[in-house]
Amino acid sequence: MRTLFKYSSLWWLLTVNSFQIVLTSRTSATLFVIAKLLRFVFFAVFLFALFAGTQVIANYSLLQAVIFYLTFNLIDTATQLFFREVYRFRQQVVSGDFDLVLVKPSSPLFRALAGGADPLDLIMLIPYVSSLVYAVSRLGSLHITTVGLYILLLMNGFFIATGFHILVLALAVATTEIDHAIMIYRDITSMARLPVDIYREPLRSFITFVVPVGVMMTFPAKALFGLLTPTAVIVSFLIGIAFLLVSVRVWGASLTRYASASS
Amino acid sequence: MKTYFQIIKNTWAEMMMYRLNFVLWRVRWVVQRLVVYFLWWAIFANRQEIFGYSQSMILTYVLLGSIVGTFVLGTTTMDIGGVINQGNLSNFLIRPVDFFRYYLARDIGDKLLNVVFAVVEIAILVLLLRPPVFVESNIWYILLSVVAVGIGALLYFFFSLLLGFFGFWSSDVWSPRFLSMVIMEFFAGGLFPLDILPKPLFAFARSLPFFYFIYFPIKVYLGQLSVISVVQGLATGLVWVGGLWYIAVLVWKKGLRVYTAEGK
Amino acid sequence: MEGMVISVSHLSKYYKVHKKEPGFLGSMRSLVHRQYETVKAVDDVSFVIDEGELVGFIGPNGAGKTTTLKCLSGLLYPTAGRVSVLDFTPFDRKTAFLKQIALVMGQKNQLWWDLPAMETFLLNKEIYEIPDDVYKKALSELVDLLEVEQILKVQVRKLSLGERMKMELIAALIHAPKVLFLDEPTIGLDVVMQKKMRDFIRAYNELHRSTILLTSHYMEDVRQLAKRVIIIDHGEILYDGKLDQLVKKFAKYKVLSVILETYVPPDKLKEIGELTDYDFPRAVIRVPRSASNVAAAQILQKFPVDDLNIEEPDIEDIIRDVFSQGK
Repeated sequence: MRTLFKYSSLWWLLTVNSFQIVLTSRTSATLFVIAKLLRFVFFAVFLFALFAGTQVIANYSLLQAVIFYLTFNLIDTATQLFFREVYRFRQQVVSGDFDLVLVKPSSPLFRALAGGADPLDLIMLIPYVSSLVYAVSRLGSLHITTVGLYILLLMNGFFIATGFHILVLALAVATTEIDHAIMIYRDITSMARLPVDIYREPLRSFITFVVPVGVMMTFPAKALFGLLTPTAVIVSFLIGIAFLLVSVRVWGASLTRYASASS
Repeated sequence: MKTYFQIIKNTWAEMMMYRLNFVLWRVRWVVQRLVVYFLWWAIFANRQEIFGYSQSMILTYVLLGSIVGTFVLGTTTMDIGGVINQGNLSNFLIRPVDFFRYYLARDIGDKLLNVVFAVVEIAILVLLLRPPVFVESNIWYILLSVVAVGIGALLYFFFSLLLGFFGFWSSDVWSPRFLSMVIMEFFAGGLFPLDILPKPLFAFARSLPFFYFIYFPIKVYLGQLSVISVVQGLATGLVWVGGLWYIAVLVWKKGLRVYTAEGK
Repeated sequence: MEGMVISVSHLSKYYKVHKKEPGFLGSMRSLVHRQYETVKAVDDVSFVIDEGELVGFIGPNGAGKTTTLKCLSGLLYPTAGRVSVLDFTPFDRKTAFLKQIALVMGQKNQLWWDLPAMETFLLNKEIYEIPDDVYKKALSELVDLLEVEQILKVQVRKLSLGERMKMELIAALIHAPKVLFLDEPTIGLDVVMQKKMRDFIRAYNELHRSTILLTSHYMEDVRQLAKRVIIIDHGEILYDGKLDQLVKKFAKYKVLSVILETYVPPDKLKEIGELTDYDFPRAVIRVPRSASNVAAAQILQKFPVDDLNIEEPDIEDIIRDVFSQGK
C-alpha cells in the first residue's frame, strides 16, 4: 500500500515534469500533433478508398473496420502516452545516465517505462475516443456485457503492450539496441489497423497468438460485435498475464548483463 | 574523387559496426515490407481485381516499390539538423570538403548498401511466398523507370537537405521532419498505388514532389502510362530537381551566414 | 564506532569486446563472424574501507577505477569475487541499501536538463522518501555549503558546468548517504571551482562522517582530500596505503635543490647525480635515496652554496613511475 502510494506520487511528479518539458516548445508540439492527426486521417482515407472499391473485407462492414482501426489507435496511443520514455531510453543507456537511475531506491523498470508520459498523446486521445464513442453508438444493438468485455479486453491489450515495451527495454539494457526493436514492434502491431482475421493462414494464427497482436488489438472489437467465444476470451486473459510475467522476468535477467557505458 | 569514395566506404563500415543494430534494421525493413504485402494479399483473398489492378500487378507494385523506396529514401542526411545545432558543422567548414558532395557520397553509399540487401531479401521473399509477379518485357520501360528512380533519388536528397537546414534557424529539427515524413509516406505511394485515391486527391498528389519518389517510377515500369505521360512526368520531375536544388543552395548560403554570425 | 563499511574480496569484472578488421571486407566478415577479446577491467582486487574514511582511487584511464565503483554501487554484476557494502550485496539493489549510498559521476547527469534543478531535488525527495523537515534541513545545509541559493530556480541547461556540478552534488546528497562514491567529480572544472569542490567534499566528510571513495585524474584532489590512496592499473591494485608511505616506498631518489653563490659548470654538478634542472643560481639534482645525505655533504664541501634543501620527489612523478613499472 505504501509502495503503491509512493509510486503514484512519483509518477505524478515525473509526469508533471515531462509535460512541462514537452510543452515548452509550442511550435514543435503543434507540428507533432498535426503530424499525428494527419497520419491518422491518411490511413482512414486509405481505408475508405479501399471500401469504396470492395464494399466488404473478410465479412466486415466499413463501420466495423472503422471501429477496429479506432481500437488500434486507442491502444497504440495510450501505450505511447504512458511509455514514451522507452523511446528515450537508449540515450540514457548509451550516455550512462541510466547508472544514476539504477543507484536509486526506486524501480529502474518503472522509471524507464513510465518516467516520461507524453502530453501530445493525451491530446490525441480526445479525437480517438470521441470518434470511437460515435462509431460504437452507430452500431445499434449494444449489450452491457459486450461493452464491459470490450473495456476489459482493451486493458488486457494494454498489458500485452506493456509486456512488449518491457522486452524492448530489456534488450536495450543488455545490448543498447532499442530504436529498431521498438519500431519493429510498432510495425507488427500496425497490421492490426485492420482486423487480423483478414490475413491468410498461417500468418493469422501467428500474429494472433504467437505475437499476440490479434489478442491485443483485434479481440476487443470482436468481443464488442459479439464474435468472440468465451474460450477465446479466457485464453486472451491468460496470454495477457503470462506475457506480462515473462517480460518482467526477462527484464530482471537483462540487468545482470548491463555493461554500463565505460567511464 | 578518391575522398568521396572513402566516404562511401566509411558509411558502410559505420553501418555494420553494430551487428545487432544492423540485423534488426534489416529485420525491421523486411517486416515493414511484409506488413504491406500481406495487407494486399489479404485483400485479394476473394477477388481478381481491384481498382483496375490485378493481384500480380499490385504485388509487383508493392515488392518493387520496396526496392525503389529503399533506394530513393535511403539517406544519411537525417542528422544534418543535429550537426548544425550542436555546432559540429564547423568540422565541415574548416575542411576542404564540399558539404553537398560529402552528403551525396554518404547517401550513395547508404543507398547502394540498402539496395544490395533489399534485392537479396526481396528475392528470398519471392522464393518463399511465390507471389505472381509481373515482369516487364519492354526494355524501354525498364530503362525509363531507372531514370525516373534517379530523378526521385535526387529530389529526395535535396528535399531532405532542406529539412535539415531548418537547424540553422531552430533547434526543433525533428518535428518538421516527422511531419514531412508522415505526408511523404502517404503521397509517395509506398503503401498503395496513388491512383486508387479519389480523383481530386490524386490530382493533388500529382502536384507534389513525393509523387516521383515511388509511385511514378513503378508506374513507368508497369507500362501503364502512355508515352506522353512518361515524358511529361520525367520532365516535371527534372524541373522539381532543378527547383529544389536551387532553393537548397540558396537556403544553405543564407543559413551559413546565420551560423557564422552566431558562432556556434 | 569504527566499523568496516566496504569490503571487497577477489573482485573481478571481465568484458567481452569484439575486434573489427579495417575495410569493407573486414566489416562484412565481422558481421557474420566476430572475434572477441576478453578485457579484464578489474582483476582479483581486494580491499577494506572503514567508516568515515576518505579514500582516493588513482589510476590512468581504463585502469578499472570506475568499474570498481560501479560494482560497489550495484550497477555491474561482478564476474567473480565478493563485494559487501554496509553489509549488503550491492547488486541485489535492496531499497535499504540504495537509500544509504550515492554515486556522483562528473560526466553524467541526473538533473532534468530543461527544468530547474529544484524539480530534480523534489523528485529525489519522493524517491528516497525523505520526510519534509529532514529534506528542508538537508537542502538548506547543502545550499549554504555550496552557495547556490541564487540559481535553484534556473533551468539546468542555462547553468555553467561548475554550477551544474554543484547541483548534481545536491541531488546526490539530499538523502544524506552514509557511503558516497565520487567518480571524477572535478573533471572539466576550472581551478577555482575545483578547489571549491574539494573544500565542500572535505567539509561534508567531516560534518557527516560519511565514507567517501573518490576517483580523480587530478592528483591535487587526492593529495588534498585523501589520507589513504589505492593505486590501480590494468585492473590490479599496485598500492594501498597512506599517501606519505607511498613516497617512502616507491620514490627511489630524493631531490637536492641548491642555490649557488657563484657559477659552477654543469659538468661538475653532474658528478654528484642526475642534473635535472640548472638555471643559475638554482640547480636541481636527483640522487639515489640512500645516498642523499652523502651527496648533500659533498655539495656543501665542494661548491659555494647559499642554500640547500633535500626534498621528496613530486607525488605525480612517483605515481608515473609506479605505472610505468606496472607495465
